[in-house]
Amino acid sequence: MSATSTSYTPMNRQVPWSKIASYAFLLLLAVVYLGPILMLVNTSLKTTPSFMRDATSVASELNFENFAEAWEKANFPRYLLNSAIYTVSATAIYVVTAVFVAFPISRGYVKYSGLVLTLYVIALFLPPALIPQFQLILRLGLYNNPIGYILLFIVNPIGIVILVNYIKTVPKELDEAAALDGCGYFRFVWSVVLPLVRPALATVVVLHAIGIWNEIILPTIYLTNKDYYPITRGLIVFQGVYGSDWPVLAAAVLMLTFPMVILFLFLQRYIVSGLTAGSVKG
Amino acid sequence: MRKTALGTFVALLLLSVALVQPVAAQTTLRVLVHQNPPMVEFMDTFNQQFQENHPDIVVDMSVVNANDLSTVTQTRLSANDIDVIDMFGFANAVQPYMKNVDPPNWQQLADAGLLMDLTDQPFVANYDAATIADAGTYNGKVYEINLGRVVYSGIFYNQDLFTANNVTVPTTWSELVTACETFTAAGIPCMTAGGKDGWPIFVGAYGLIGALYPDQAALVEGLWTGTITWNDERALDMWSKMQVYARDMIESGASGIAGDAAPGRFASGAVAMFPGGSWYAPAIESAEPEFEWGYIPFPGSDDAEDNQYLFGKYDQGWAIAANTPNAEAALTYLADFSEPENYQAFVNAVGFIPTQETAQLDTHLGAEVAPYLANFRVGYEQYWVAPRGVGQYANPWASYFQPFGTFDDPQTLADTVQADLQSGLDAAGS
Amino acid sequence: MTYHFGRGRSRWLPYLLLLPGIVAYFVVALGPSLATTLFSFTDASGLPGAPVNWVGLANYNEFLFLGQAARDNLDAVGRTLIFMFFVTTIQFALGLLVAVILNQKLRGRNFFRTLYFMPVILGAVIQGLIWSLFLYPLGGPLAKFLEIFGARSEFLGGPPTEAFAWVIVVQIWANMGTTMIIFLAGLQTISEEYYEAARIDGANNWQVFRNVTWPLLTPSVNTNLLLNVIGSLQAWQLFLILLGYRNGTQVLGYLIYAVGFGQTSGSVTSSFRQGYAAAASIVLFLMVLVIGLAVQYFLRRREMRLMG
Repeated sequence: MSATSTSYTPMNRQVPWSKIASYAFLLLLAVVYLGPILMLVNTSLKTTPSFMRDATSVASELNFENFAEAWEKANFPRYLLNSAIYTVSATAIYVVTAVFVAFPISRGYVKYSGLVLTLYVIALFLPPALIPQFQLILRLGLYNNPIGYILLFIVNPIGIVILVNYIKTVPKELDEAAALDGCGYFRFVWSVVLPLVRPALATVVVLHAIGIWNEIILPTIYLTNKDYYPITRGLIVFQGVYGSDWPVLAAAVLMLTFPMVILFLFLQRYIVSGLTAGSVKG
Repeated sequence: MRKTALGTFVALLLLSVALVQPVAAQTTLRVLVHQNPPMVEFMDTFNQQFQENHPDIVVDMSVVNANDLSTVTQTRLSANDIDVIDMFGFANAVQPYMKNVDPPNWQQLADAGLLMDLTDQPFVANYDAATIADAGTYNGKVYEINLGRVVYSGIFYNQDLFTANNVTVPTTWSELVTACETFTAAGIPCMTAGGKDGWPIFVGAYGLIGALYPDQAALVEGLWTGTITWNDERALDMWSKMQVYARDMIESGASGIAGDAAPGRFASGAVAMFPGGSWYAPAIESAEPEFEWGYIPFPGSDDAEDNQYLFGKYDQGWAIAANTPNAEAALTYLADFSEPENYQAFVNAVGFIPTQETAQLDTHLGAEVAPYLANFRVGYEQYWVAPRGVGQYANPWASYFQPFGTFDDPQTLADTVQADLQSGLDAAGS
Repeated sequence: MTYHFGRGRSRWLPYLLLLPGIVAYFVVALGPSLATTLFSFTDASGLPGAPVNWVGLANYNEFLFLGQAARDNLDAVGRTLIFMFFVTTIQFALGLLVAVILNQKLRGRNFFRTLYFMPVILGAVIQGLIWSLFLYPLGGPLAKFLEIFGARSEFLGGPPTEAFAWVIVVQIWANMGTTMIIFLAGLQTISEEYYEAARIDGANNWQVFRNVTWPLLTPSVNTNLLLNVIGSLQAWQLFLILLGYRNGTQVLGYLIYAVGFGQTSGSVTSSFRQGYAAAASIVLFLMVLVIGLAVQYFLRRREMRLMG
């Protein structure tokens, strides 16, 4: 293993203590991270009486019926589709508008760039505004309407701040060169900047999508037609009798999480590789 | 790849628009209820039947968490997107001796003119007059029909465990203490409660308050006017008993049990007793139909005479939005619901103590509470409205004691509770 | 900054494309928040048709000064600060340590990175459910572990201080991944050459970290500190799911939610009081703003000192 060490690990002496310590630490932490998640998976495979008898014992019965029951009860197929529609559309709209806000601010291509950025930083602190926001959507005639619901999720200041900072690592010389080649502003941002900021974009997409996917309160307030429910709203059937039925609830939660985990695994090479600035170091 | 993403997005957007299909020219009656599985199940059946009888009406019932009910009622009234309203606890009216209080939700709704006046509706007469007066009338007008009462000051007990351990059903506090000691010595936890939800711990001990303060309307007035305090001698007796209840009687680990898992735990036969409301009876029965249980008033006093009352509250009720465009359909809905046979079916499903004189609670629970029904009283929770400025400990709750809370000494807790209450009374200047 | 993509009418293109984002920001976020500020000076119940009166500072006066309730609110403010302190320091330190370790070439490092980031994907509700299950006091994994030592605990249902400490643990567990990722990004912008130069000067691991890594990591340090401070000050969902509204555990963010949704426990009744709830949320806003700006100011000065 010591063969893989590089300049940033201690000099290769006989025993790589520092490496051993690193692994020990990582494994210890992994237990804290895996433990609760494994407990969830294990619970989802138990029967309720078995859970009542011994909550922790290994689920030898492999009771997959919990998944079937949760799927049925929470109306998963229909509501999953709605959740996907909301998450994909709102994230897409948000990311596109965010890039066109972040790029000119980062470059100073618009007047008062500093002021606009400050506005977004202040937005990080803004108080929740449940009732005024509700009145707004209502007056716009978009209450109980998927479009109105999507509208609630097209602003997210953190993403703007991340993008502005990241775009600074894209060399400014690129702009000039592209312009000389006759590339227009829109095409430059769309086909040159976008690919270069993919790591930051991936992070923003994941963070934003997670927020929409997992939202529990807003759908209760804004969407009263059952045809529009996202899956989190469907999970309400597990409150009450099923709220205590840990195995079925665990199965439902696992299924709810699944699409986000897939999205994450799909984008993770950008994200966990550490948003690397790669070739475009600033 | 980006083009595909955009394409997918557009496709999904179109799809979402396609899903918006307005229903044909029928009346859609919008009903909002809170999540309570037996009730929701009954309502689904009832709605089906209602639609068959009234082909021109479609019932659109949505279910929300009990916690979100008041907020969603508010937003849906704002949007004029609701016809039939599910309301809790139409009681706690602000009394003349109360100052500097916020009127409860239902009173605010009535004051804002958002509830329809039901006074002259014939179906109101199906309910007993006392209920309509106590839990439905405000400023001389009827705004709600209340669907039933629940008892919350009793204890479910496991008959087999009592027999097997030679324990007789306790009628006094000291008998209860002895019973618990016997069970604990035999390795059987004495009581369980759904501690995860918080409130079942203190609601479980409401019987203790009842045994010591049989007239709870007088209790509330006394607290407001200062003739009763939470740290006087009688209250100290209550706090000492609550400590025993929280510390010694409730099984350890109870704080992890969700409110609706507790009946299952009790029905599994693992614990001897389960202090809680009558609403748990259907869940106990469905968890273990063969299980033999009884229900007694919580014996909070050493004088058995004091322990014969059951305390409770008015539960769910129906009201109609004043601005509904579907007034006729909404009234028909309540009229149908109030038909004695439908109401009886409702009571059978949810286990409420009926508020229609002709209806009967024909369940095992009904038989268990029957001897005490003459002594049914509305409890503290239904009278109490706190002044602004009261502290967070201004209630007679057993959950303030360890292991659920921080307090370990009845006197200290009693003084804290009274100080927290006094602070609000002082601010109200009464 | 010189603009290269044309003059005249086409100079307006960046503004045009910026517009949708800005408009959305003003309409959906800033506008309603300003309305909340106005609300906080009224007795609005939030019900349609109910009269709304201007009450000046009465809501603020009640929230901050009226009786024991106000003292309880101030306790919640104090608790919010305690929560912020522990979450920020521990999450920051742990995230940095993990990032430094995972920046080495270790076998399985992508696995560890993915694992530590995983909770972020789950969202607050599921994070809370997972830990309620993990801390299940009737024979859950941790209860069993304690049993080995003959100890027992009610965990989330126990005394407020202990329950509160568990929320800190879960909050850190849930969000350490974000801190780690931001640090990893920062670490990867530091060129190998700096490390080599330090090694040649005979610096040990600690000296390399102290004199090379730490100063060059300044941008990530700033981002992380700010995000941790704001995130922990505004946190409330985990409190809702793990504890519910329990005496001695509330933080300001949860208090506001509870007031807004009529779920406070000081009284057994609930009322519609959107004006009062708005005042409470403005108090939180001001607190976050002041602390956030102070942190910003402190970090700027540090950055200027380091970068010259």
